[in-house]
Amino acid sequence: MKLDSKIPDGPLTEKWDNHKEKIKLVNPKNKRKYTVLVVGTGLAGASAAASLAEMGYNVKSFCIQDSARRAHSIAAQGGINAAKNYPNDNDNIWRLFYDTIKGGDYRSREANVYRLAQVSNNIIDQATAQGVHFAREYGGNLANRSFGGAQVSRTFYARGQTGQQLLLGTYSSLMRQVKTGMVELFELREMLDLVVEDGKARGIIVRNLVTGEIERYAGHSVVLATGGYGTVFYLSTNAVNSNATAAWRTHKRGAGFANPCYTQIHPTCIPVSGDHQSKLTLMSESLRNDGRIWVSKKKGDKRAAKDIPEDERDYFLERKYPSFGNLVPRDVASRNAKEACDDGRGVGSTGLAVYLDFEEAIKTFGENVIRERYGNLFDMYEKITGENPYKVPMRIYPAVHYTMGGLWVDYNLMSTIPGLYVAGEANFSDHGANRLGASALMQGLADGYFVLPYTINDYLAGVDADELKTDTEQFKTVENEVVEKNKKLLSINGNKTIRTFHRELGHIMWENVGMARTEESLKKALVEIPKLREDFWQNVKVPGTGEELNKNLEMAGRVADLLELGELMARDALNRAESCGGHFRLESQTEEGEAKRDDENFSYAAVWEYKGEGKNPELHKEELVFENVKLTQRSYK
Amino acid sequence: MQISQIFRSSIGKKLLLAITGLSWAGFAVGHFIGNTTLLLKDPTPFNKYAHFLSGLGGALILVELILAASLLVHLFFAIKVTLENRKARPVKYAVSKSAGRESKKGFATSTMIYTGILLIIFLVLHITHFKFGAVYMTTVDGNQIRDLYKTVYEFYADPINTAYYVIMMILLGTHLSHGVWSAFQSLGLNGNRFTPFIYKVGFLVAVIVSVGFIAIPIYIHFTGGAV
Amino acid sequence: MEKLINLTLKIWRQKNAKSSGKMVEYHVKDVSTEMSFLEMLDVLNEDLSLKGDDPVEFDSDCREGICGTCGVVINGIAHGEQKATTVCQLHMRHFKDGETITIEPWRARAFPVIKDLVVDRKAFDRIMASGGYISIKTGSAAEANSILIPKEDSDLAMDMAACIGCGACVASCPNASASLFVGAKISQLSLLPQGKIEAKQRAENMVAQMDAEMFGACTNIQECEAVCPKEISISGIARMRREYFKAAVK
Repeated sequence: MKLDSKIPDGPLTEKWDNHKEKIKLVNPKNKRKYTVLVVGTGLAGASAAASLAEMGYNVKSFCIQDSARRAHSIAAQGGINAAKNYPNDNDNIWRLFYDTIKGGDYRSREANVYRLAQVSNNIIDQATAQGVHFAREYGGNLANRSFGGAQVSRTFYARGQTGQQLLLGTYSSLMRQVKTGMVELFELREMLDLVVEDGKARGIIVRNLVTGEIERYAGHSVVLATGGYGTVFYLSTNAVNSNATAAWRTHKRGAGFANPCYTQIHPTCIPVSGDHQSKLTLMSESLRNDGRIWVSKKKGDKRAAKDIPEDERDYFLERKYPSFGNLVPRDVASRNAKEACDDGRGVGSTGLAVYLDFEEAIKTFGENVIRERYGNLFDMYEKITGENPYKVPMRIYPAVHYTMGGLWVDYNLMSTIPGLYVAGEANFSDHGANRLGASALMQGLADGYFVLPYTINDYLAGVDADELKTDTEQFKTVENEVVEKNKKLLSINGNKTIRTFHRELGHIMWENVGMARTEESLKKALVEIPKLREDFWQNVKVPGTGEELNKNLEMAGRVADLLELGELMARDALNRAESCGGHFRLESQTEEGEAKRDDENFSYAAVWEYKGEGKNPELHKEELVFENVKLTQRSYK
Repeated sequence: MQISQIFRSSIGKKLLLAITGLSWAGFAVGHFIGNTTLLLKDPTPFNKYAHFLSGLGGALILVELILAASLLVHLFFAIKVTLENRKARPVKYAVSKSAGRESKKGFATSTMIYTGILLIIFLVLHITHFKFGAVYMTTVDGNQIRDLYKTVYEFYADPINTAYYVIMMILLGTHLSHGVWSAFQSLGLNGNRFTPFIYKVGFLVAVIVSVGFIAIPIYIHFTGGAV
Repeated sequence: MEKLINLTLKIWRQKNAKSSGKMVEYHVKDVSTEMSFLEMLDVLNEDLSLKGDDPVEFDSDCREGICGTCGVVINGIAHGEQKATTVCQLHMRHFKDGETITIEPWRARAFPVIKDLVVDRKAFDRIMASGGYISIKTGSAAEANSILIPKEDSDLAMDMAACIGCGACVASCPNASASLFVGAKISQLSLLPQGKIEAKQRAENMVAQMDAEMFGACTNIQECEAVCPKEISISGIARMRREYFKAAVK
């Protein structure tokens, strides 16, 4: 595997423009002769499919949901960043770039991040023109807010439903192209493998989730926009059907997987209530502006919150980080909450939660002010937990929220397999080791609207618009492998449910490859995961048949893949003997307990090459070169 | 879009139902106001009113034709929409309830087609009973005119007739309680202030018209049935 | 506080679109009141699959009330009794020990059952494809602040845009009408200056598609608004009618 990042020459600020000038074009008449397969209809996938169709390419678009409008981008709440500088607080592209690369703890490519900041403004224009409802001022122009500790107000938002509104915007563009016939949309189809012919991505094998039929689709290029792999932790803020199967099986066909250990954990989620828990719900971080986080000073304290006197409470964030207090970054807040719980001081019936208390804020500002600020969130909390946060403190716990790692792509978003592009959360490109708030939506749309539709021309201009065939040997072989794998899953007929394995995998991952990792825990994971995987292939019970709607079969395939991906994550985390962003190795911290990078040895993207079953993957390194920013250590004391 | 196409659409059909329904609701209100003269001991005002109406000649026929046409259109589209709506859910729910809150689902909304059809039968009988019923003559201001007052009083002397009318007027009230505001909604007239207002107006119209129409026969039955 | 309750479930079971279905009774024991309704079904399915029975298929994805994937009729009410709540956000603490719960799929001719509680809602997508968009190509957008929108209009349009496309409006409507869904989209876009340009065409095409999908006609019962997880008002239906009339007389 050769890694060529294809970063264009020239000064940082001119790279993208220079590159665009050199990208080859495809004659409008010829575009019709090319077919592009786009997998996933989230922000990245739908925007790419719609844009490519508008340009004149034939597009086939696939999603596992029953409608393209339901991709998990829809659940993003907070907002989307852009360097518009509407509030006149001296924001600009450089600052957005700098904040993003610094936020990523200097583990992303300068050129990619700069381009992201450059196109951010176009995204706002595009979305607004589609009718996306960003909040407005009374004068009729767009409003901004500050988000995630940024020093400028650059976040555009649509109530608490920014992701939904943006997705409905891309979905509407997609449906418009469906109407014109340029996009053929295949809902309820799950991509189960990639077909590579003559070293190039040439098609995909999908399962029709309604009939169970295995189908073949060929294209001159394949775009994966299939999201992240947070469900490897079983419980996460991802949707229950979010999965890594398309990305993982593509990896096994030769696409390098970069930085799998980079995962982001969100501190303010509603805690787990029991074994039945199927997912975690995130609440906006803004709650920490007024809420105070605490646990009892005593271990195993079973008293109700109101019965614990003030001097027996430990406001651990305020104690440890006097200047930032409850507003320390996500990872610091998360880690400290878990430490308190691991110390036996967690609250609630499970002991896996800390209090987020608004009593003082309500006393200071009055209940009405708090209701105005957080009414929606308080209602949501009460709906789920049945507790009234105006009366008793909220209970919160961290949850996995986003995965920064993903399939490796070059500057053009092409993976190590020619013709295979990867966009959105599925790729590794822009967030380094940690993603800033309101940047996920930005990246998904940047990739889909403004990067990929340009860069893909470069590839297509160089391949023949030959007739697409799905009856080739390669298609047959790959389809056969998919069929056999499903048959095997159905035939095991063991005594444990798929969920049992998934939950167990999540437990191993959370405890050992979670927000605080050690050499010991990672090595333990590397023993436990393969053991669990073996158990899975011996004892899993997959009910039903393959020739019908069978969500258990779908889930079984996904869990099987996560059982492999989890191991790679542990391996990557073990290799990276430094802390950076969301990857925290206890061995590598500053005296203040901060993530301590080792720029000398780890200033690279770790790209893993699959070498076959039972063989260790091979590590390749893409060195990260920083010519424009100075690497600094963050501190929140 | 062809204008005719609109009346084939679900929205257009409801538009026609709204317009024709409102014309009949308006007629019911007018009819009720005129009929309050029946509550007088003196038959003259009512008979003069009836005589005035029948003396309108061509204008009356025009109004009658419009109302008749409205009724036929209302009936036709009501049946059509109801049948189409039934087809839209071929398998029924085992259990069906209302969530309450804003919902107006209830007896009135689910029986519009039945109350409507019963009201049309009632209307035909009603016209037979009075317009084409027993004719008595009386002298008012030296002119021989029809004594419709007597026809009415004679009719309601019968307790069965009275009871039948009361039941029919309850159905009318039920029909109007949903019909009036619904017509405005079907016309696309909705607003934060307007809709609650028109809902109340619709309900009030239903109550006044039905209670009023019930009060007249009952009053006649118990006070003047012997005339 | 967590309690454990026992329930009797009557669930619609249907093998596939072609076969006919029936209600089947299940008894679930020790259901935690902390569970969501779908987690309760998850637990039932775990038991069923270990016993060798077919699990009950039902749709769900985000489980936080925004994707619009889940939806069943619980005791005769779409998404159950709680206000502004999708099934995934409905918790078992709202049910009593010993209660019998009837669970049925969305029922409408336009939403054929695929299996058990899963229905096919592609009709919604076809309606959206018929005009639920503003025709703007990637890259051709003007500077965002060159389009000024009064906050009031923007907020009203946003109320309509909150639709998650779950189909509860159709499921709960005695006429299986899709008017709230279609009305919300037509209203949202017609309230915006960007959307006004195509307003007539959009209203005409979307209404035609809605009718072609064999949804029923709206008779103003407002059950849809009462069950809508996003509390979308039927003022959207009235606005759709106005837009449609405008298109008709143009």
